[in-house]
Amino acid sequence: MTVNVGWFKTMAVGVLFLSVAAATAHAQKQVIVYTSNEDTLNSLVFAGFEKDTGIKVQPVAAGSGVLVRRLSAEKERPQGDVLWGISRSLLDTNRAYFQPYRSQNRDAIPAEFRDPDDLWIGNNLHVMVILQNTKLVPEADGPRQWADLLDKRLKGKIAFTDPVNSGAAFTTTTLLVGMFGGGEAGWGKVANLFTNAKILNKSSLVFQGVGQGEYSLGVSLEYAGYLWANNGAPVKVIYPAEGTVVQMEGCAVIKGGPNTTSAEAFVDYINRKDVREMIFAKTFRRPARQDVDLSHLPGGMPPLASIKQAPYDEKLWTEARAATLQRIQDVIVQTR
Amino acid sequence: MADIRIEGLHRRFGAVEAVDDVSLHIRHGELFTLLGPSGCGKTTLLRMVAGFTDPDQGSIHVGDRRIDRLPPHRRDTGMVFQNYAIFPNLTVAGNVAYGLKARRVPPPEIARRVAAALGLVVLDDHGERWPHQLSGGQLQRVALARALVIEPEVLLLDEPLSNLDARLRVEMRGEIRRLQQSLGITAIYVTHDQEEALAISDRVAVMRAGRLEQVGTPTEIYHRPATPFAAQFVGTVNLLQGTVVAREGARVRLRIEDQLLLVPAMVAPGSGLSIALRPENLRLLTPDAPCPEGWGSLSARIERVEFLGPLTRLEIAAGRLTLHVATTETVDMVRQGDAVTLAYDPARITVFAPP
Amino acid sequence: MRALGVRSAFPFGVTLIAFILLALFLIYPLAQVLVASLLDPTGTTLTFANYGRVLGIAFYRAGLINSLTLGAGAAAISVVVGVPMAFCLARLPIVGRNWLLAIAALPLVLPSFVGAYAWVMLLGRSGIVTQALASVGLPSLSIYGMPGLTLVFALHSFPYVLLPTVAAFKAIDQSMEEASLNLGATRIATFWRVQLPIALPAVLAGALLVFVETIENFGVPFLLAEDRPILAVQAYKLFVGEVGANPASAGVLSMLLVFCTVAALLVQRRYLARRRFSTAARSQPPELVVGAAGRIGATVYCWGMVLLALVPFAVVVVISFMPFRGPVLHPGFTIDNFIVLIDRASRPLLNTLGLASAATLAATLVGLPIGYVLVRYRSALAGILDSLSMTPLAVAGTVLGIGFVLAFNAGWLVLTGGWLVLAIVYAVRKLPFNVRAASAILHQIEPSLEEASINLGVSPARTFVQLTLPLMIGGVVGGMVLTWVAIVSELSATIVLYSGPWATMTIVMFQALEGGSPGVASAAATVLIAVTLVPLLLVYRLLRRHELSLT
Repeated sequence: MTVNVGWFKTMAVGVLFLSVAAATAHAQKQVIVYTSNEDTLNSLVFAGFEKDTGIKVQPVAAGSGVLVRRLSAEKERPQGDVLWGISRSLLDTNRAYFQPYRSQNRDAIPAEFRDPDDLWIGNNLHVMVILQNTKLVPEADGPRQWADLLDKRLKGKIAFTDPVNSGAAFTTTTLLVGMFGGGEAGWGKVANLFTNAKILNKSSLVFQGVGQGEYSLGVSLEYAGYLWANNGAPVKVIYPAEGTVVQMEGCAVIKGGPNTTSAEAFVDYINRKDVREMIFAKTFRRPARQDVDLSHLPGGMPPLASIKQAPYDEKLWTEARAATLQRIQDVIVQTR
Repeated sequence: MADIRIEGLHRRFGAVEAVDDVSLHIRHGELFTLLGPSGCGKTTLLRMVAGFTDPDQGSIHVGDRRIDRLPPHRRDTGMVFQNYAIFPNLTVAGNVAYGLKARRVPPPEIARRVAAALGLVVLDDHGERWPHQLSGGQLQRVALARALVIEPEVLLLDEPLSNLDARLRVEMRGEIRRLQQSLGITAIYVTHDQEEALAISDRVAVMRAGRLEQVGTPTEIYHRPATPFAAQFVGTVNLLQGTVVAREGARVRLRIEDQLLLVPAMVAPGSGLSIALRPENLRLLTPDAPCPEGWGSLSARIERVEFLGPLTRLEIAAGRLTLHVATTETVDMVRQGDAVTLAYDPARITVFAPP
Repeated sequence: MRALGVRSAFPFGVTLIAFILLALFLIYPLAQVLVASLLDPTGTTLTFANYGRVLGIAFYRAGLINSLTLGAGAAAISVVVGVPMAFCLARLPIVGRNWLLAIAALPLVLPSFVGAYAWVMLLGRSGIVTQALASVGLPSLSIYGMPGLTLVFALHSFPYVLLPTVAAFKAIDQSMEEASLNLGATRIATFWRVQLPIALPAVLAGALLVFVETIENFGVPFLLAEDRPILAVQAYKLFVGEVGANPASAGVLSMLLVFCTVAALLVQRRYLARRRFSTAARSQPPELVVGAAGRIGATVYCWGMVLLALVPFAVVVVISFMPFRGPVLHPGFTIDNFIVLIDRASRPLLNTLGLASAATLAATLVGLPIGYVLVRYRSALAGILDSLSMTPLAVAGTVLGIGFVLAFNAGWLVLTGGWLVLAIVYAVRKLPFNVRAASAILHQIEPSLEEASINLGVSPARTFVQLTLPLMIGGVVGGMVLTWVAIVSELSATIVLYSGPWATMTIVMFQALEGGSPGVASAAATVLIAVTLVPLLLVYRLLRRHELSLT
């Protein structure tokens, strides 16, 4: 019967295609990288790594939340080799899924940016900044400090990330609670800030929004401001005068992954000095290792030492996370 | 011997007893008709024989074979559907060959038998046609050929003619009867058309609300209906109810409305009786003609005249009682408003047990 | 329509296999998620406390209300836009009607999150249209917030209402309206009191699809809702949020989504149960005679709506040929985006095509017999199967995906890490399409045909294969192509399940869009559109021949 023949043909072709594809995929040495970094950075690093080592990278790219969920769901039979682009606090809370590796570049990284047991290692640093779209807000009229964001005239003009979905936003929010006087007073001023802000679902929406002119101001990551500004967008990076917080991002070797040796090669590669310089030139990721001279690189990013850092008790806020999130959510509801 | 024995068959749909304790014996080679109004259970009964509806209770045997537990495709019945159910994706020959292919008959024999079956229904040259090119009557013949070609033990016909026009219906019912008799096949025929049932059946079962009202030959059903329902459903009838006022030997006088009728019954005065009297058993007498010996008569007036060609139907009022009368008299002898005498033979009156 | 009352192992076998498959690939993974929603904080006892707690939070209550409003709004607009258009397309001499029908399903092809991006480019605060309006002093209309979201969803999914309704209007026998006109009703009264009620089941089925797809979707509100809580977005964030991951609360929100959809399904089912019209037209209704003004008006309306719905396509195609420096768009023309794409996406393109074909095949092979058994062998068991096979409509892709990871990553059945798990998840998610396509076409096939076949000695199973399938094939192929198209633009389950080399085109688009390469994302979308056009044109040809209906 013609109907069935057609079906079986389609099915046979499909199965054939899939098995051929599967076979070719396993022919080469490979490493499966769970990455929360964006496409541009992924492509850059994976191409370089493949060229350098001959190891093919199979990326699984998703938000760090998705990756960590997968990690815990897959713990009986890990599917990935490396977790990359994850914040320090998330790396710390998921140490159980990693295996220690003493990287060749370990000693170039300051001790505060790596795990004492070498379960994870820092790659790059995010400085929390205010981004300003200079087409919508004349350059001179922009805010200079966090407190300037409380100005009622800025209502609806500031993009902020939902702290539920972003470690950086959680850190910024809690930093500001302390900076604005702590306790109820601090929370009250944060509520004022939230009243002015649009709380977006993802951090990339904030800097894209400022870059594209959807929002005048955004509380965002340093690199994004340089990336957009250096590619011709009217974006200015503001380091708030009261000081800000530095967030580390790092990587880890997944315990029991299928290609551990390749994973270790990747961890070594990603922190190499020349690689960090290459990454910086293309994507403005501030290296965790402190021996890279930023003044010789494009973009004009100031050295870390020149940025005022505010005191922040990461441990304390991480422990109080559940209650704090609830509080933040209450503030969001009240200020809508 | 493909006789069909149905015993104690029950089928309930929700709260409705679609078929309620039906037992039948259909003889080999007989054309047996299930007759009744829609919803009486006749189609359900037929579909239980075909296997499309499961009985709740009871059994069905064809010959020695119990079939009510068999899946329908192993029952070896040939069914003709009300809407023909001709496969639109197959040619006429393809339709007729369908059941033979299922029985793995060798192709040369299929070709031979399909040709023969098409010959039987006078569609010899139509084998390569597609169903949408055929008329309703032709589709009906294809359906018949398709059911007969597998030489089933039993032929089942589910209101096969209801989608045809009146003239074709008469023609096709004759043809079905001819084929059934020449092949000597046992057939169950479902219809709500009493004329069709009387015309072609060996025996008829009148059904009502899931039960058998009466089983008999067409003449038995017509002339000796067992119940008022059977009398009323088959042919036209004057169905009357009255009270016995006097007894005269083997007869009683029955008061119906303001008239008295002579009825062959032996019950005490005061009892109620139902009677049926066919229109053709009432005779119009000219004013001077004598009433035949032993007959009863009523004075009446012609209310309405309906000329039907071979006969004329009259509505006649005797006092407050209105009666249907059929007569072969020519229409100019009876005119609306005429006073007439209406005579009847009490022996032709069917008396039912008191309700 | 009468069911077949045949005693046979076939329907039982199909039902059994269907139950086993659905239990394994739908219930079991979902149960993993449901259990999470019922666990108390200690993780040992099952409790409904989480539901009370989550519903006690105003933020989530608002999310529930927003989602329902959004779904209802999108469905209502789809009906208001789609039904008159369907009537015009079915009965009026629209200029270029065949072309219009061919591209009317196109909005379904573009992944909705890409469409949302395109709308931001047009109607965002710095969008092209917004700025053009502002430059002539007109107030800008905002794409953000509920009105914008509702419009984007309605424009994306109104074909779900349009397509089956065109078929339904065409299937109304001419004698119906003639009878109505003969009884003295005007054309307008005839439309309201005869034609619309008869077509209503098809309209409602389409509206239900719009409702369900809208409340399940998270890609669009993720971008456009800003800070209005939307259930699907909040569930996603609670599942996978970087900071606040809370499987219990996420499970509660997911289950709320499932309950909403199931409720909508049940309402529709109850309504349809009392109104099952047999609408196989003996004589197809003729084209109505209208004046030049009516013809022009109807043509402008129909073309206008379809073209409006296709605006994101144009934007995406245009952007795909524009140069980007980093994430920043610059004026000009280039094919660089495609060059980058070829390097990055040739494998994902093959993955998408292969996976969509395999999953479509699987969904058809399972859905077709289920649809058949549901229509032809009604029973209490079939009723349960009916509801069960519609449940995937109600489950957000992310939720099902996570359920799959929880259920099939270890233990006696390991599926994660390969292509099979994606094919299965796609097949499960789109199963309702196939079941519905199969039952729709079956309603137009007289059951006595199958009875005749069985009566002639062919078993019910063989009758299905040998007689019913060939009769169904037109509608089935139509359903298959729509399934294929829907799978090609699937994102939400893929993102939690794909691994290694099995990235699909939507993953490429999502990552490129997220990662500041909208040019590459647009190029990928352009390629996907071009590739999907072929089967869609095929569907349209079938539409013309078989009056394909989605209901």
